[in-house]
Amino acid sequence: MRWKIVLHTIGALTLCVGLTMLFPLAFSLYYQDAGIMPLLKSFGFTCISGIAMFLIFRDREGNKGLSHREGMAIVALGWVIAGFFGSLPFYFGDIFTNYVDCFFESLSGFTTTGASVMMDIEKNAKGILFWRSLTHWLGGMGIIVLSLAILPFLGVGGMQLYKAEVPGPVPDKLKPRIKDTAMVLWKVYLLFSAIEAVLLMLGGMDFFDSLCHTFGTLATGGFSTKNSSVAYFQSAYIDYVITFFMLVAAVNFSLHYQMIKGRPLLLWKDPEFRFFGVITLVIMVIITVSVYSATNYESIEESFRYTSFQVASIISTTGYATADYEIWPAVAQGLLLFCMFLGGCAGSTSGGMKHLRIMLLLKQAYQEVFRIIHPRSVNRVKLGKTVVKPKTMNDILGFFVLWLALFVICGLVVSATGVDVVSSFAASLACIGNIGPGIGSVGPTENYAHIPELGKWALIFCMLLGRLEIYTVIVICVPEFWRK
Amino acid sequence: MRVIIVGAGEVGFNVARRLSGENKDVVVIDMDPKALSKVSDSLDVQTIQGSGSSPEILEEAGVREADIFLAVTDKDEINLIATFLANKLKSDIIKLARIRKEDYTKFSDMFSEGDLKIDTIINPDEEVVDSILRIMSVPGSVEINDFVGGKVRLIGVKLPAESPLEGVQLMKVREQLGEDIDVVIAALVRDDQLIIPGGLDTIERGDIVYFTCMRDQQNELLKRAGILSDPIKKVLIVGGGNVGSLLARALDNKKFHTRLIDSDADRCAHLSETLDRVIVLNGDGTDQDLLNEENVGDLDMVISVTGDEEMNILSCLLAKNLGARKTITRINKFAYIPLIQPIGIDHLVCPRLSAINSILHFVRQGKVISAVSIKGEEAEALEAIAQEKSDIVGKPIMEMNLPKGTLILCFQRGDDVIIPTGLTVIEPNDRLLIISTHKNIPKIEKALTTKLEFY
Repeated sequence: MRWKIVLHTIGALTLCVGLTMLFPLAFSLYYQDAGIMPLLKSFGFTCISGIAMFLIFRDREGNKGLSHREGMAIVALGWVIAGFFGSLPFYFGDIFTNYVDCFFESLSGFTTTGASVMMDIEKNAKGILFWRSLTHWLGGMGIIVLSLAILPFLGVGGMQLYKAEVPGPVPDKLKPRIKDTAMVLWKVYLLFSAIEAVLLMLGGMDFFDSLCHTFGTLATGGFSTKNSSVAYFQSAYIDYVITFFMLVAAVNFSLHYQMIKGRPLLLWKDPEFRFFGVITLVIMVIITVSVYSATNYESIEESFRYTSFQVASIISTTGYATADYEIWPAVAQGLLLFCMFLGGCAGSTSGGMKHLRIMLLLKQAYQEVFRIIHPRSVNRVKLGKTVVKPKTMNDILGFFVLWLALFVICGLVVSATGVDVVSSFAASLACIGNIGPGIGSVGPTENYAHIPELGKWALIFCMLLGRLEIYTVIVICVPEFWRK
Repeated sequence: MRVIIVGAGEVGFNVARRLSGENKDVVVIDMDPKALSKVSDSLDVQTIQGSGSSPEILEEAGVREADIFLAVTDKDEINLIATFLANKLKSDIIKLARIRKEDYTKFSDMFSEGDLKIDTIINPDEEVVDSILRIMSVPGSVEINDFVGGKVRLIGVKLPAESPLEGVQLMKVREQLGEDIDVVIAALVRDDQLIIPGGLDTIERGDIVYFTCMRDQQNELLKRAGILSDPIKKVLIVGGGNVGSLLARALDNKKFHTRLIDSDADRCAHLSETLDRVIVLNGDGTDQDLLNEENVGDLDMVISVTGDEEMNILSCLLAKNLGARKTITRINKFAYIPLIQPIGIDHLVCPRLSAINSILHFVRQGKVISAVSIKGEEAEALEAIAQEKSDIVGKPIMEMNLPKGTLILCFQRGDDVIIPTGLTVIEPNDRLLIISTHKNIPKIEKALTTKLEFY
């Protein structure tokens, strides 16, 4: 482990985070709000820290190749440090009464969770709110590259499937092609962002709101600029646009790249996408019908509008709300809870366990049953026509177990702080899955402010682990990792 | 006409035997003096000992004067190099190569141009798979052959006990089955004897009847003759080698419920990766426990295609004993062929026999539509064009003076394929498909007042 290289790289990352603070600063200056000073201070502090780290730890030998371990350390520490510097505008702006809330809000942004501890959102300075949404967008950018380029290389949690499976921009080396991969995927991300922002403005949002909501949607984050989230706009058009883009963001970005490259058929051929599509549709239909028959929506269309939005919001792990699903029938709530476990597709900005893993686990389970009937049969789990290696299957099984263990432990910790059981487990689930709103006292109409400090730290840890596919963070907590 | 055959194995030997019998100058090249002496002892052909992939030997064999070059050794690479050299020495020679490895056959286009220019690639494995699939398409059949690009079929079926055709005179078969079905009974096998029947012969209980019919009328015909049985659905393939995996891939769809047994664990792993619906089992085809576990008694067909023929025979017998409906076994040695049906195995396939048939078919291009051999090699189907001056033109078939043991199965007039009745009149330039026993071929030539040309 060469600390110099790790810190040097993180220094560069910090500088990038610092520079992006210029955007909210511009908004603050335009609106002449209270965000100017906090943002300016944060900008200066972050940039200076970044430059300092970058220069102090510069490796004069010019040896830039990264090892596996260094890669993991950069990924895990990078997110934490981004979370720290991202919390500065909230801290300098005196938004919250204690520091843990600042860090919670910032990391919730960078991990694209969207769990908020902010009480009255609309009274805050626009610059600060813009920064809050921008952390989503930056986190989303990081996730795409992380899940499609870095994690496959590091071999984390079954993600190496993508090395073999996804055609096109998938690198087999961390350098130099990882740069090209990142650029290509970011262009796709940027393109979708531009389209959504324009569409939202056409629906009557102003420039500021449309950008913030675009950031929240495509990163599957969920921070809104309004207290009542997207419900504030009361527009079917806006609901459908956001629904569509939430689903887009839950699909593997390398498939989007292929589609833009003129190979849309790959989308239909992708087994994970088909699985995701079918599950999402079926759940939407069931909930639409049950909600229509149980509540007082005027038409099936209206029922579908609210249902599809909530389902897309939860399954993509965004967390926007246009309706309070806690008053929906039990079957609808149960299905939404199920969606929280699922998450979107691998290689997207969404969280959760990912459909890919669930699909492969189901296949594996079916094979075990099959083997009881045909004891001497030889069969393999396949994804499309590719055979999934037993090692990958083991990774996925391990991931599944760790994910559930983390969910239970964190739920227990939060409930130990005095929060009711349903809410604490829902909060744990919503944070590991990077969703945001859960049920109970952390439901779509509430937020996380009331959770005691210890609970918040536990949830912060969950968000980070959930976002970084668990292994990346767990591995740096193991002593073996640090041995020379 | 000079033919050079590289390889004096079973394929080379049999092709040489058939071609030398048809007055061709045959030269056989092989490394193995024993194999060569077997050839030179029994056949009137020239033999040269040496490597078929040596230009010197090829020159010695007279490649430059030869018309046809057959590379039929067991080694794909030797066959490829030999054809390459033959092409260099005489570029317009007709070349056939026997190639079995999938690595090569996948790129057959590559071999038919450039430095090789192979005219036909003979892949015995693929042909064996085709013939298994044909057998499966008519479960009750003994033998099935396709003619005229698959439009006409020759189906040999053992007549079941209650068939309405029992005791019917051949001239009345059409009355019995209905006039709308075109059918000619091409041959009968009774007490192990092949009969090419005339209109006065009668079908008897226990005969194997060879029907010639249009492919699209096949099912209706078999239904009316009381022969059609349930389609094959549940299949077990024993052996996952070349033939086994090709077959499994052909049966890897919703229409079949296929299982495949192979004794090699690595091979099984590989097969399970490439196959989708087929259940791959690791074990021995003669392991009774495994066969019971997989409920073999309930299967429609067990196909044993390992490289070990004794093993194939055994696993088929075992499966039959456990209650499997039909069995097919793969045989390599010709000596076993007469044994198979008497011991209760329903069908046999033989890659080498398939290879010989396709080589002969190609060599006689156009003149013998298919070197179909019924009952081993006793009968053959040939094609001839009706000449204007010939005796057969202008009168109904029943009045023709064809030798006994010769039948016109069908003919092509323009683009139409017609299965004749006794009243059909042959016109000049009709292309006839004739079935005949071997010894009758000279007589047919006379009757047609034209020499039957093989080339």
